[in-house]
Amino acid sequence: MDYIKKELPTKINKIGWILTLAGLLIVIISYLVDVQRTSYNNLIALIFFSGIAIGALILVALEYLAGAVWSTPMRRVSEFLASSLPFMIILAIPLFLNIHNLFQWAQPELVKNDLALQHKSAYLNVPFIAIRFGVIFLIFYSFYVIFVRNSRKQDTTKDQRLTKINLKFSAAFMPLGAILLTLFAIDWMMSLVPHWYSTIFGFYFITSTLLAGLAATTYVAVTLNEKGYLHPSIGEDHYYSYGALLFAMTNFWAYIAFSQFMLIWYANIPEETTWFLLRWTGSWKYLSVGMVLVRFAIPYVGLLSYNSKMNPKNLKRIAIFILFAHLFDTYWLIMPSYSPGIIFSFYEIGFPVLIVGVIILVFYAQAKKYNLVPIGDPKLQRGLDFHL
Amino acid sequence: MTTIDFTHEIPVIEGKPAASSIDEMVSAPLNQKPGKVWKILFTITVTMLTVGSVALGLTFYYGIGLWGNNQPVGWGFDIVNFVFWVGIGHAGTLISAILFLLRQKWRTGIARFAEAMTIFAVMCAGLFPAIHTGRAWLDGYLFPYPNANHIWVNFISPLLWDVFAVSTYFTVSLIFWYIGLIPDLATLRDRATTKWKKISYSIFSLGWRHSARHWQHYEKAYVILAGFATPLVLSVHTIVSFDFAVSVIPGWHTTIFPPYFVAGAVFSGFAMVQNVLIFVRQAFKLQHIITLNTLEKMNQVMILTGSIVGYAYATEFFTAWYSGNQFEMFTFINRALGPYAWAYWTMISCNVIFPQLFWFKKIRRSILFMFIIGVFVNVGMWFERFVIIVTSLSRDYLPSSWHMYVPTVYDLAILMMSFGLFFTLTLLFVRTLPVVSIAEVKAHVDGAQPVHKGVH
Repeated sequence: MDYIKKELPTKINKIGWILTLAGLLIVIISYLVDVQRTSYNNLIALIFFSGIAIGALILVALEYLAGAVWSTPMRRVSEFLASSLPFMIILAIPLFLNIHNLFQWAQPELVKNDLALQHKSAYLNVPFIAIRFGVIFLIFYSFYVIFVRNSRKQDTTKDQRLTKINLKFSAAFMPLGAILLTLFAIDWMMSLVPHWYSTIFGFYFITSTLLAGLAATTYVAVTLNEKGYLHPSIGEDHYYSYGALLFAMTNFWAYIAFSQFMLIWYANIPEETTWFLLRWTGSWKYLSVGMVLVRFAIPYVGLLSYNSKMNPKNLKRIAIFILFAHLFDTYWLIMPSYSPGIIFSFYEIGFPVLIVGVIILVFYAQAKKYNLVPIGDPKLQRGLDFHL
Repeated sequence: MTTIDFTHEIPVIEGKPAASSIDEMVSAPLNQKPGKVWKILFTITVTMLTVGSVALGLTFYYGIGLWGNNQPVGWGFDIVNFVFWVGIGHAGTLISAILFLLRQKWRTGIARFAEAMTIFAVMCAGLFPAIHTGRAWLDGYLFPYPNANHIWVNFISPLLWDVFAVSTYFTVSLIFWYIGLIPDLATLRDRATTKWKKISYSIFSLGWRHSARHWQHYEKAYVILAGFATPLVLSVHTIVSFDFAVSVIPGWHTTIFPPYFVAGAVFSGFAMVQNVLIFVRQAFKLQHIITLNTLEKMNQVMILTGSIVGYAYATEFFTAWYSGNQFEMFTFINRALGPYAWAYWTMISCNVIFPQLFWFKKIRRSILFMFIIGVFVNVGMWFERFVIIVTSLSRDYLPSSWHMYVPTVYDLAILMMSFGLFFTLTLLFVRTLPVVSIAEVKAHVDGAQPVHKGVH
């Protein structure tokens, strides 16, 4: 293994601080001006951020479980992205403080007059959602700690058994992760329209999460590698694999989203159509049409050809675009519960800036401490030699 | 704790067989007279087919009143069997197309056989919607074409989409299978010793000469077809799920149906392919090509898809409660505790509980256990469709119209017939065409590909 560690330029750290502080400033001002609107943005932020961090964690587990080798040289990128997971807690605290502003089921006077909400109150109540959030976070974070600790230990020991242990944990992680993400999606997004229900919603969120983690990893890994921070053997074939996965997941997302829409539209049951009706009134209509373009058509065309998946410039562009689409999607899922039409102002900017800043800061700190390539991983050489 | 060496790839084909020995091995059954076992099996399957055909003939004569279908259970075994067989077909396309696109080399040894099973399964599946119309001789009207009677199809019905989806799926699967066969047919042509074999293999190998240019075109065509087949395989079972999910019947109308049906289809299809392959590798001594590692990977796919199915059951149950909708809640409680509870619990135990044993490596690698669990999965997946269709219909919104469904002997005979058809075709296939892809297997023998620094 001929890896020589190169320090990331301190410029990145600076950018991280600037973005974090600027984002934080906007968020604080937003909260001072309009608590309710900012709470909704805070919720978007939680979902958007969790998508990236948990999605990156799923990628790590997926690599172990599937026995993939091509992604091993870039696994640290996913690990570093997942390391900002605890930021979820910070994003959730203001939400719990403002939970009555967000959810109808958290307003006792509304629940009193609504049979359906009373029925659901066994599940949708503040203590229980808090417990669920805690459990979800703790389980994801514990798995993160296990995976990463073993991976780092391997840098020095080169012990193959550690890979085997991580493989076992990743097998346990998958079913648990799927259940937890489903509960997370029901708690924080589906229950915004408390009478609405859709069984595919968990699938929808899991797909979005994986897509976000994948896009973030792709962008960072390709950028770092093009600048020479990873390894000279990583090249087009690895990029192609990321591109192909992004393409597949984009299609899968479209499939899930279409299935949900199509079935609800066709059956035309009032309890179910309300959710889509909300997104088809006023200016939301344009955003709903835009979803087809932003979340599906543009990434689809941008990744369709063989070359587009191999060209690092194009791949980076599309990866960033997919991250934007994830934000767009999250906004579309949440904001119609707050506003009768599209709204966009500084409230909507603060959180994304803050999140990007925090991710950069955490990434930089991690990259300073640890190797950017898992040098002790037994699959590393095979990953570097990977060819299509 | 571990004997696995992660630094090296596990070879797909064991024991570095010489290219010529692969030719010999695979074409051996085609050059011999059928053995005793084959003859016995063939007699059994043809008997099943014939007896079932009589039942079908009687149905044509007297009408579908012979079946157990009633009011309100308008769909019984006919549609249960249809969904079951379409599902069986899905494994083949998953293995040949999706795993190909995902560059999973272990698919090499089993792709040909699985694809053949896809084609046979889709044939069996196609039979049921064709006969459930009651007057099968009028099925031509299912296709939209201008006719003197001005009979036009109902384009907004998912049943019509089924016609398109299944026929497209069948066509593409057949072409895909055939394209893959061409190089092997050429090999067989070159090895043929009798005149008729030579002529027929010559015709079907389309002048293939194993030249570099042929291979280049072949590989391109194969990738493109795999790219087509991938969305197709998802669309077919998605549209099958639409047959139910676009309705407003509790237990049918739920948005998770499309991915859940696709996962279930792959689940049952893998179980069927695994079951049959266990015998094939034994009978034709192909243990080094269809290896235990490959079977283990199939079992891993089964635990994945089986768990997705389990996840879907749980989600449906939870959402029925969460919805607060009394009809939804009733439907699911009725499934678990109502008159068809035995079917429901058969489904749960076969699909969700027993496959969990595959978490244990020992069981994943035990031929006996994997066979038994595979059979359970097929039973369970058949019952899943039974539970979905029959429980929801037999107790609908209006208790006064509730009615139980009991299949008649004709239903059972026609089900048996579909199994007879499927296995007859499978038995004919193993005697006439190579059961594994000779060309592809050769490319995956250790040392066949250029290596870099001694590592793949």
